[in-house]
Amino acid sequence: MPNGGTLEQAKSIEEMMLRELAWLWPIGALTLGAIVAVLLTMVLPRHRQGLIGAWAAGAHVTAAVLAVAVWLDRGVRAIMEQTVIVDGLSLTMTALIGISGALCIALARPALAGTEREGEFYAMLTFASLSAVMLVMAADAALLGLAIGALGLSTFVMTGYLRRSTRSNEASIKYYIFGTVSGAFMLYGLSWWFGLAGTTNLRLIGEQLQSAPQGYVIASTALVIFGLGYKAALVPFHFWTPDAYDGAPVSVAAYMSVLPKLAGLAALARVLTLALPEDTAGWATAIAVLAALTMTVGNVAALAQRNVVRLLAYSSIAQSGYLLMGVAAINGSDQGLAALVYYAMAYAAMNLGAFAVVAAVQRERRSVDIDAFKGLGRTHPWWTVVLVLSFLSLLGLPPLAGFVGKLELFKASIDAGQSWLAVVAVVNTVISLYYYLRVISPAVLDAPAEAEPGVPRTWVVRPTPIAVVLGLTAVATVAFGLAAEPLLRLAEKATMLSG
Amino acid sequence: MPWLTVAVVVPLIAAALCAALPARASRLPHVVALGATAVSAIALVATVVRFDTAEGMQLVEQARWIPSIDVAWRLGVDGMALVLALLTVVLSAAAIGYGVGPRPMTRAAAGLLLLLEGSTLAFFLAEDFILFYVAFDVSLVAMYFLIALWGEERRRYAALKFFLYTLIGSLPILLGIIALFLSSDPQTFDMTRLATEHPVAGGGLGATLVFLAFFVGFAIKIPIVPFHTWLPAAHVEAPTAGSVLLAGVLLKMGTYGLVRVNLQMLPDAFATYALPIALLGLVSVLYGALVALAQTDLKRMIAYTSVNHMGYVVIAVAAAAASGISSRARELAVDGAVLQMVAHGLVTATLFFLAGFIKDRAKTRDLGKLGGLLRPMPVYGSLVALTFFASLGLPGLAQFPAELLIFLGTFDVYPAIAAVAVLGIVITAALFLLALQRAFMGTTPKGLRKLADLGARELVAVVPLVGLFVALGLYPRLALDLIRSVSWLAGGG
Repeated sequence: MPNGGTLEQAKSIEEMMLRELAWLWPIGALTLGAIVAVLLTMVLPRHRQGLIGAWAAGAHVTAAVLAVAVWLDRGVRAIMEQTVIVDGLSLTMTALIGISGALCIALARPALAGTEREGEFYAMLTFASLSAVMLVMAADAALLGLAIGALGLSTFVMTGYLRRSTRSNEASIKYYIFGTVSGAFMLYGLSWWFGLAGTTNLRLIGEQLQSAPQGYVIASTALVIFGLGYKAALVPFHFWTPDAYDGAPVSVAAYMSVLPKLAGLAALARVLTLALPEDTAGWATAIAVLAALTMTVGNVAALAQRNVVRLLAYSSIAQSGYLLMGVAAINGSDQGLAALVYYAMAYAAMNLGAFAVVAAVQRERRSVDIDAFKGLGRTHPWWTVVLVLSFLSLLGLPPLAGFVGKLELFKASIDAGQSWLAVVAVVNTVISLYYYLRVISPAVLDAPAEAEPGVPRTWVVRPTPIAVVLGLTAVATVAFGLAAEPLLRLAEKATMLSG
Repeated sequence: MPWLTVAVVVPLIAAALCAALPARASRLPHVVALGATAVSAIALVATVVRFDTAEGMQLVEQARWIPSIDVAWRLGVDGMALVLALLTVVLSAAAIGYGVGPRPMTRAAAGLLLLLEGSTLAFFLAEDFILFYVAFDVSLVAMYFLIALWGEERRRYAALKFFLYTLIGSLPILLGIIALFLSSDPQTFDMTRLATEHPVAGGGLGATLVFLAFFVGFAIKIPIVPFHTWLPAAHVEAPTAGSVLLAGVLLKMGTYGLVRVNLQMLPDAFATYALPIALLGLVSVLYGALVALAQTDLKRMIAYTSVNHMGYVVIAVAAAAASGISSRARELAVDGAVLQMVAHGLVTATLFFLAGFIKDRAKTRDLGKLGGLLRPMPVYGSLVALTFFASLGLPGLAQFPAELLIFLGTFDVYPAIAAVAVLGIVITAALFLLALQRAFMGTTPKGLRKLADLGARELVAVVPLVGLFVALGLYPRLALDLIRSVSWLAGGG
């Protein structure tokens, strides 16, 4: 509704918006969670700040539950004058963000307990999740820009959490500068869209862009992809990733490798289908090329890593490439989006599992070098089980989650007429075997390092929060593969509203 | 009773159970593993009893698994699947009985052997393409850990090479499976339907690519020259029981796939490329034999003879693909090929056991350093002689009828290739006799004079295998009556 309506119209719109608040419950839960967390930070003494973690995790889980409730109770709908889309895709992603966010908090808690500003960290993390949810729901260029900015700001603070570590500071600054620049480019691209279409509504932009000059459309679209591609760590916008992951606490690396990335990819899928329906400007092929580049660069760079966090950083870049296959296939195959959503869920489970093991190892052995994993099978059988399961799943071996995910992605790619991309992905899978095995093999095959021959094998996993994350992710990694049916059905239903 | 499901699932459950066993009960993993294998064997015997040789794919057991993408738990048997499943369970029993790694067998070793047994059985019995693929890859992981954990000096390298090569092979197979799925109507992973409906017909570009995707995958597994370079490393470095299963069972997965998928599902494309593939098989036959001739390490020598023996299978399958749908030559060739898989499985498994036994005693397998073994170890020596004769195709032993059928079938289609391939038999005969002469005749070196002959555990592992290949040699209809390719080759059930 442009400016200049009557008072009656304004009133009716206001009434409508009030009624539509029900669809915003998940966002409300996270907002409330973040604000109360900030207040609690000021009130609670330092040794009680862990409670804020519990509160924030609760807010995340509540958001996930509410997302389900909204879907079942209210159904899907474009609300707030078509700026916010609450549909299968955004609700599924919201639930995923809620659960993964809570797991990341559990992962962070043992490492952060008793440190300065522990409470602020949880508040920031909740703000980040809130922005991620906004990002997947945004159907308006302005909201999209806002969500990207807020997400960047809050994750930037999380990356720099270890204030006394120069590496953490460097990581955070790098991430911030890269993030600001790419955010600015994206806003610039969005402003072109606004100029070409005369509206910020992405669906209306989509209608207008079809008749706009091709050159402008291509240039502005490239800028928008830049901004979202940076969030999803796509090549060539990935340079910040290994440094940021490595400098940040492991739990933050886990968070960044899952939530902003998946939100960015879901947003990319939505923005491209809304603003460029009918493959305007040939974006499907462009995204496919980007996918091929991303997986190849990520996998090849991962080969040389000895630091397991950096290795997982490059691995997560490669995984973005696989996920992008789903985005590239959206136009050509009706399985593209479902494959993307399914792989997103599988990826969240297996990648969080991998990071949980790294966090546990780093906590005990004070190192994330490959050598720190030596003999893990002897000293920590359960960690090793999770490590092997998540890494083999990331590799895509059956019957684990990653296999079904790749199966769906390959199917979508071939169905969309991009068989070459499936072949590239196959070659990449073979490359990735080397570095995944490079971590598995010392853990399973080697004897423990000389320093701890006396350490008895222990089947008990401590600390408890990490044990919970390890258990849940391992079960999910296996169950999403062996019992993929419910999840595949969910992924099929997680469709987009077209405005 | 769903016997096939029992045969597959019991070892898998037992594998999981092994992980949960208490550490104190040190003999328990071994007992659990043997018990599970016995259950599998009983289930397969029950299947043999119910099996109707006049039918094709039969006794199909189906259960919903992931219906939204038409993935189901589908198991079934035809002649080829049945005999290979029997072979698997026999060799698994021998391997588990003999054991891997430190004794008594650890939980990990028992679990991995059971995982390998369950997944290979699932592979041969699968009638769902995704299950087929899952089984293929799970067996790969199990074998990787068996080699990497309990292999010989260069086990890491060999295990990695094995994993890498097989993964390179398995991923094109996955793409091929997806291509078949997408072109079938309605879309299905049901292998029986794909074998009867031939969704990718003709020999056009699409069919060629799908065919090649499968062919490369299976060629690496078989292995066909030039995809064979993983094989000597893996066989030599694997622990004895690992080599036994690798040569006896895992190589058969390649030839099984070649028949099940390339021949049954893509007959037109196979007919187009039959000649080059037969030639590749011929190269494998000759190259494998010649390289084996040059080996001094007993295990390496046996490994290369596998390349040679599997080459005959490839030639036979290619000849079958080139001949018409219902020709007699085609059935002879395929019957021979399947019999050869079984015979080679039994004979080569025995050979790897025997090679392992001598390494345990003499600390070497170098033919140059061994000699006159017949004197201190008469039982061992005679078993080796008998198995060598079986492997070189002596009449009365299992590989003779198999190779005879293969040549009979191939002569009709590719007389020249068959004629040249006979050379392979001559070379293998020479190399086995040479090895026999070097290691078992003549004077015994000092260090070897006090070697003990085979013990009970070793005899229990090999004597049943020897008995089976002698029985098959004397009365090949034992297996051929079950195989009867005429009833299933055209697909369907």
